[in-house]
Formats: sequence, structure tokens, C-alpha cells
Amino acid sequence: MKKLAAIILSIVLICSLAACGGGDSAGEISVFYYTFSDPYISTVRAAMDAILDESGRNYNNYDANGNQTTQTEQVQTALAKNSSLLIVNVVDTGSNDAAQNIVDLAKEKNVPVIFFNRSVDESVVKSYDKCAFVGTDYEMAGHMQGEMIGEFLVANYDQYDLNKDGKISYVMFKGQEGNQEAIARTQYAVEDCNTILKEAGKPELSFYDSANSNRYLVDQAGQWSAAAATDYMSTILAQYSSANNNMVELVIANNDDMALGAISALQTAGYNNGEGTTIIPVFGVDATTAAQDKIKEGNMAGTIKQDADGMASSITTIAFNYLDEKDTFDGIESDNIVGDWRVNIPYSTYTGN
Amino acid sequence: MSEINVSQKNNLSGRIASFRAMERADKRRTIIDTLFNNAMYIIIFIAIIFITIREPGFLSLNSIVNIISLTAAKLPIALGIGGAIVLTGTDISAGRCVGLTACIAASLLQMANYPNKMFPDLDVMPLWLVLLLVIAVGAAVGFVNGFFVAKFKLHPFIVTLSTQLIVYGMVLLYLMNGTNNGQTLSGLDSSYTDFVRGPLFTIGNVSVPKFVLYAIILTVIMWFIWNKTKFGKNMFAVGSNEEAANVSGVNVFWTIVLVFVLAGIMYGITGFFEGARISSCSSNTGLNYESDAIAACVIGGVSFVGGTGKISGIVIGVLLLQIIFVGLNFLSVDQNMLYIIKGLIILVACAIDMRKYLARK
Repeated sequence: MKKLAAIILSIVLICSLAACGGGDSAGEISVFYYTFSDPYISTVRAAMDAILDESGRNYNNYDANGNQTTQTEQVQTALAKNSSLLIVNVVDTGSNDAAQNIVDLAKEKNVPVIFFNRSVDESVVKSYDKCAFVGTDYEMAGHMQGEMIGEFLVANYDQYDLNKDGKISYVMFKGQEGNQEAIARTQYAVEDCNTILKEAGKPELSFYDSANSNRYLVDQAGQWSAAAATDYMSTILAQYSSANNNMVELVIANNDDMALGAISALQTAGYNNGEGTTIIPVFGVDATTAAQDKIKEGNMAGTIKQDADGMASSITTIAFNYLDEKDTFDGIESDNIVGDWRVNIPYSTYTGN
Repeated sequence: MSEINVSQKNNLSGRIASFRAMERADKRRTIIDTLFNNAMYIIIFIAIIFITIREPGFLSLNSIVNIISLTAAKLPIALGIGGAIVLTGTDISAGRCVGLTACIAASLLQMANYPNKMFPDLDVMPLWLVLLLVIAVGAAVGFVNGFFVAKFKLHPFIVTLSTQLIVYGMVLLYLMNGTNNGQTLSGLDSSYTDFVRGPLFTIGNVSVPKFVLYAIILTVIMWFIWNKTKFGKNMFAVGSNEEAANVSGVNVFWTIVLVFVLAGIMYGITGFFEGARISSCSSNTGLNYESDAIAACVIGGVSFVGGTGKISGIVIGVLLLQIIFVGLNFLSVDQNMLYIIKGLIILVACAIDMRKYLARK
């Protein structure tokens, strides 16, 4: 009886697996995401799924759930079942090894690889003639955020200097330790803003807590999460407030989720709640729909937009070029092509105007 | 009232008298035992004094309210997990369950005119209905956990590991609903955010959010369930010795199932509050919440040995973790130290706990 149950169960499992696989998996386009839980990447995924569905080609999505080992094993499995092309959103950006390993695996089978979003070194991409990278100039987001903040402050400096000490005190929420994008955004947002402030004859930004030598607060779990920003912000507001005349006058976050988390804590404390309340300028990156809405309400100051649709269409264009044996960058806007190995999807600022 | 006071006094003076009558060695052992048994309170006390000397603002009204509201936010999930630990089990599906219920609550309570609604044709639903719904979802996950633990005698770690994965998959699927495409849910209706984080009352310019009150109510309810109901007594009986409980007529199966259902209800409520407290829900919401909740429980003396634990202990555990978090921020301590300090405290707390248990044996 038990044996029978076990057999039935395994048959059901096998059938459901086969159903998920969609029958013939030979020649599939394999798309590897570093995690399904990233809101921005999910938008790219939705856009890419739509294009691939429409093209009628066979494809499969893989979720590495933030683990490089998982991803590498997924790549090996996909190659073992005759994948025709790999589209990889690599997990580990700290070193070249993970990406190089994937390239080597693909090269062995003569399968093209397209990396996207999370940065991969030029040397890795160039080590294989059927390899390309679609991403953003990851340092750009930080630079653009810094410029946006600088110009925003200079336009109405006295209004934002709440305690009239001539300096703007700020807090920086970093998404993750050891992530190139987080590091660049944390650094350039402040540096570039300071450059603009200096040109306008204003003093540099000052971190709200002079004893903190890092000059940022990081999500301990490395998840760029709203919850981490809310907890930090409410703790900050316990010590710093308009009433104490030491209020934090500017909030910079590595992404929109953290910006929204900070706004939630500000709102609980009576700030950033529409007209009649003190609005602390909060800046993020990503231009998620939630953040765009907060900006339209006037409770958030600005964000940097990453073009998810543009990224998805560039990736799939290159993928189809490889499969149809056309030129790699055929049909890609030439302004966006850098060298002969990567496509940069431009950022834009979003301030609700 | 006065009678109780008198008896307490007698008790205390009696204890002092018996302490005086002891031999020196006994005296020393008694002192050491008392210190160890109250080690967590002593650590909290020392921590508060130390932080306050360095940063007097730590004990300002503002800061106390902040510590209390952070504690209140993390309390319900810990109260839920506590029951599973009393049964010598654990529940690692808690965080994902909070995430799922938070996303459900947020999606159903978006502003009517919000452009990026997950369900564009849906009016803002009544709060009580959504609250009941997320409680039901939490309870359903809890039921699955409890059923598999009780029926198949599987270790709760295995069962909840499975449900953790299943629930996470459901969160991801849920967020891809409609035109949402995995985006963060936001644009919550003000009736919802006011209900959760609106001011309960204001003292000296500092407003206390409403969820503090709800956390207190939940704590009282859980205290009542644990200490004053047959179910609570059965839970401790099953936790300390399942066989003995079974022999003495306790329905072990339903006790285990109900403990997990109750835990699930707590996760649902936590999710409902967390949705509004953070105001933006993504698939990250709730990630790893269980590890802090389990840590809080063991710090507060809810023992993995089973059958022991107090609601007051859980409150102390959660409070201590929040004091450390806020305190280290006030002191601008390198944040990496937070992990080390947390780890040490859990280790010390459990060691002290086991010492009590071994002594009793």
C-alpha cells in the first residue's frame, strides 16, 4: 500500500515537472535571474517574458535566489539539456570568477551568453566571441542622483536648511555591503552633490551623526529593504527632530524601497505628509511605480529611472541576433553601444515634472 | 490587595531570614544563582546605564517611545513562535508568512484612485474584512504546519522549512498578479495606515503609534491563553513530555495543530501591521523575521528543551534585541558588531537557561 502510494506520488511529480517544462526543452533560451524578489529585475522579467512569449520561442526562467552556487548549477543543468542561449543576471559581482566560470562552461558547448544588469568585467565578456553585456553604466545612477540632489538643494537652499546653520545634514541608506552598485551610489551621490554645492558657494553636506565614520547606514541583511530603512529612520528621529533643532535635512537612499521605508518612518513622526507638514527631501533610485507616486504626491523629492522595457528589448534583440546568426548588435541604437562588447541602457532623472 | 502585600512582605523577610541563617558557601551559591537566574534583566540594566552615560539622549522620551514601538512591531511574531518552541519545535516559515500576509493586506487596501493598483476595479475593502482574511491565511499556513507535525510526527524544522519555501513561492506569484509585475506594493489607503501607525496619543510632542496598543492587547490575550486556559496548560504538558500528556488524556494532535494555528494567526496580524508600518511591501518583506523572533524567545527563557517559557520572557527578549539595535545606533558602533553582540547574547542566554534546566535535573 505504501509502495503504491509512493509510486503514484512520484508519477504525479514527474508529470507535473514535465508540464512545467513545457515539453521539449532542447534548444530553449535559458534566462537566469539573480533573484526573483528584486522589484526592478521583476519588471525586466515581465517585459522579457512578454517579448519571448510573443516570439514563440521556447524559454525558461531560473531563480538563483541570491546564491551564486545555485546559479552556476542551474547553468550547468541548462547546458546539459542543450540550451541554445544563456541570458545571465549574474549573482556575484564582487569578483570575475563566477562570470568567467559561466563563460567557460558556455564556450565549451559553443552557446552564446548575454549578461545583463549586474556588472561583468570587460575582460570576461571579451574572452568569448559569442558574449555580450547589456546593462547600465552602474556608476551613472550615483552620479545622476548626486547631480539631481545638488541642483535641487541649490535652487532652494535656505528652505531645506531647517535649523539655518548654513549646512545640510543628511543620512545615507546603503542597500548592501560589497555590492558595486551600492558602493558607487553611496559614494557618488554625496560627492557629486558636494561638487555642485561648492560651485554655488555652499558648504558640503554633513552626515547627521559625526561619530559615524562610515557615513552610511546599511541594510544588515543586504536586501536593500524598506523595513531596514524604516527601523533606522525611526531610531534617527528619536534623537534628531525639528523640535531639537537638529533634524536630518536630507535623506538619500540607494534604491526606492529604502527611500519609501524612510518616508514611512518620517510620516509616523509627522513629517512628509503632504501640505502643512515639514517635507524632508528624500531621494531614491529605480523609479518604481510606488516611488513615482510618492513623488507626485510631493512626499518624495526624486529618483533615477532605469528603463526596464529598454533593457528587456535590447537583451532579446541581441539574443535573436545570435540565434538567427545576424550581427550581434544589429538593430540596437548605436549611441548605446560601448566598444564592441556592451550596450548601456541610459538612466534618466524623475522628479515628477 | 493589602493581604497580598503582607504575604509578599512576609515571604521576602522570610527569605532574607533564611538567607541569613545559611552557611557561607550556601550564601555564595544563592547569590550566584540569583544573579544567573536574572542575568537578562541585569544585562539590560547594565546596557541601558552604559548607553545612557555615553549618550544621554538614549533615555529621552522620544527614544523610549521609539524603542517601545520597535518592540511592539516585532512582538506578535515572537509571541506566535514562542508556542512552537514550547513544544520543543520551531517555526521558520514565520517570516515568509508575514511577507505573504503583508502583501495581501497591502494589495487589498490600496487607495481607490491609486494608478498602480494590483486590483484596479476593487474599492478599498473594509479593514476588518482584510484583517480577518490575513488572519485566515496565516491560520491556514499554521494549520498545514501543525497538521504535518502532529499527524506524521515530522520535525517542525522540516515541515516549516517546506512551508517557508511554498509560502515564498506564493508571495512571488502573488506579486506578479495583474499588471504589478513583481513591483513593490504601495499607495496604501489612509484608513489603513492611520489605523496602524496613526498616533494613539501624544505626550510632549512625541506621538505613540497605535500598533503599540494592539501589541499590548495581543500580549495580554496570549498571556491569558498560555496561563489561564486548558489549551495553554495542555501546550506546556505536551511540550515537557508528549507521552505523559497523551497518557493523562491530553489530545496531543489538536494541541499541536492549534499551537501552530495560533502562531499563524500571529503572523497574519504581524503582516497586517507590517504592511502599513513599512508602507511598501515586496517579496523581501518579512525575510528572516523568524530568526530575530526565535532569538528573542530563547533570550527570554523560552527553552528548546520544551515545556518552559513565559510571555513576560518573550517581551523581555524582544525588548533586549531592540535596545541593542537602538543603543548601538546611538553609540555609532560599527554595525558589523551588531551580529557579534547578538550572537553572544543568544549563546549566553541559552547557556544560562540550560544551566537552570540541568540544575533542576
